[in-house]
Amino acid sequence: MADFDRESILALDNIRLELPVASVGSRCLAGVIDGCAVAVLLVLWLLLCSVLAFWVSGAWGLAIGVAGVFLVEWGYFAGMEIATGGRTLGKMAARLRAVTAAGAEAGAGALLVRNLVRDVDYLAGVPLMAVDPLARRLGDRLAGTLVVHEGRAPAVILGRVPPGWGAREVAIVESFLLRAGQLRDAAGRDEMAGRLLARVERDAPELLAGLGRRGLEGPVGMLRQALAAEER
Amino acid sequence: MDYARFLRLRRPLWEDFGRRLASLRETREMRETGARHRRRPWRRREPAAPSYAEVEELAFAYRQVLHDHALAANRFPGTGAARQLAALALAGTRRLTRRSAPGRGLRYFVVHAFPGAFQRQLGLLGLAATVFGGSCLLGLVLAAVQPGLGNLLLGPRAVAGLAEGRLWTESLTTTVPPAVASSGIATNNLSVALAAWGGGVLAGVVPLYMLVLNGLLLGGVIGIAMRYSMAAELLGFVAAHGPLELTLIMVAAAAGLGLGRALVAAGDLPRAEAMRRAGHDSLLVLLGCLPWFVVLAAVEARISPDPSVPVAFKAALGLGLLLLFFGAALAPGRAGDEADAGSS
Repeated sequence: MADFDRESILALDNIRLELPVASVGSRCLAGVIDGCAVAVLLVLWLLLCSVLAFWVSGAWGLAIGVAGVFLVEWGYFAGMEIATGGRTLGKMAARLRAVTAAGAEAGAGALLVRNLVRDVDYLAGVPLMAVDPLARRLGDRLAGTLVVHEGRAPAVILGRVPPGWGAREVAIVESFLLRAGQLRDAAGRDEMAGRLLARVERDAPELLAGLGRRGLEGPVGMLRQALAAEER
Repeated sequence: MDYARFLRLRRPLWEDFGRRLASLRETREMRETGARHRRRPWRRREPAAPSYAEVEELAFAYRQVLHDHALAANRFPGTGAARQLAALALAGTRRLTRRSAPGRGLRYFVVHAFPGAFQRQLGLLGLAATVFGGSCLLGLVLAAVQPGLGNLLLGPRAVAGLAEGRLWTESLTTTVPPAVASSGIATNNLSVALAAWGGGVLAGVVPLYMLVLNGLLLGGVIGIAMRYSMAAELLGFVAAHGPLELTLIMVAAAAGLGLGRALVAAGDLPRAEAMRRAGHDSLLVLLGCLPWFVVLAAVEARISPDPSVPVAFKAALGLGLLLLFFGAALAPGRAGDEADAGSS
């Protein structure tokens, strides 16, 4: 265990998995979005109560209003997380999810615990998350939970690899092809693709055979076609 | 094995595993929105129950994906395949492993889980009661030796009312409709209980503070009422709701003290694990207390201020509620069921 990073967990057969732990920044962003959501819910609830006041007697309407405000304030986070398996609106927007420290789906008890101490975490949570390598606030420590990034980042996978290429070369080409569409400097991008094509031509010229006749869109398209790159 | 061969041989398996995981989610959502779910909408989402063969195939595929992930992370670090496998392995771990069994229902909670957790925390409840009682006594003494305390605690108008033979509680209940008062009292008491429990994570300081503060206030207020010979009226007002309300605040604070104890004296366990276990046990106690606050709020807003209800009836009701609560909390369930603790 001593060799492993704190963010690592051991899955089946003692295989190490890196949990993509969400840092204090993304969690604060989710918190701000959730704060806005709670504010909107409260406003909607008060509007609804003011409409209901036409049918319900004043005292009962006010009583229901007070109870609803309490439920929104205390129940939004726990209720949302229990209903959606560890996500609130803010977490959905920031693509985060609360899971157990073992990377599994957190149970209702754990989600309830981590949210009932939220009032204390408003005071101490952010500094605690900032100093903890797993960015845990008090509620997380109490419930044994973590907040992780979820969803897959897009990746390019090469279907053909020239002989002799190792993981480093493959990773460089995949990374370039993933980012090629976002590079603003078209000349620089084509030059980089041209150099990579030259390397492919040197190591496996058969991969480039016939590509010139297909009318591909520049060197990036040729490189993509030559190495059968697929975006996943 | 080179990268291209690795992909050629293993990629169909990863794609198949991804499809199976997605279909598991779809099946689960279909079942949740289906007839079974409509009949029991209060039930928490439960994993769908695939057939034995499906589970076996999925577990086998998960294991293969994990092994491929280990190989890719070691031989092809930083590549798209390694990233895809890491994401698949994490998704599989999240979907296919659970740390706890799903909840066992309301009846189990009422009959076994709550009494068990409550009885495991009786020592802390004794401590909370001692702190509260001591503070109450101190407040009583302070009110006796410091006549100016009345103005500080209740304000000059309430003290003037006492001098004229009127309790300040009359204005509270005559100016606010009972329904509103009931709702406000319930939410206020629930907030106090939740804060007392949650504040326990700060080494138990917040529940201790709440116990001392509430004890001092109660003792002080009774002492001031005694000074103006209004103690009987005040005790008559609180007779119906007071005993259980104060008990529940003490129980919530005791649950918070349990959290604090886990932080300060974790014993042989790591602090995080000790707090997690204490958190689960004390949460059960807190959840068992919350519904009583709603009942009490109705009593406090409707029966306590009603002058037409005899004080003897209020006292009997207060005692009855207290006995009912302790009857439920001390029921001979499975008090020693440690499985309830720490299964969050």
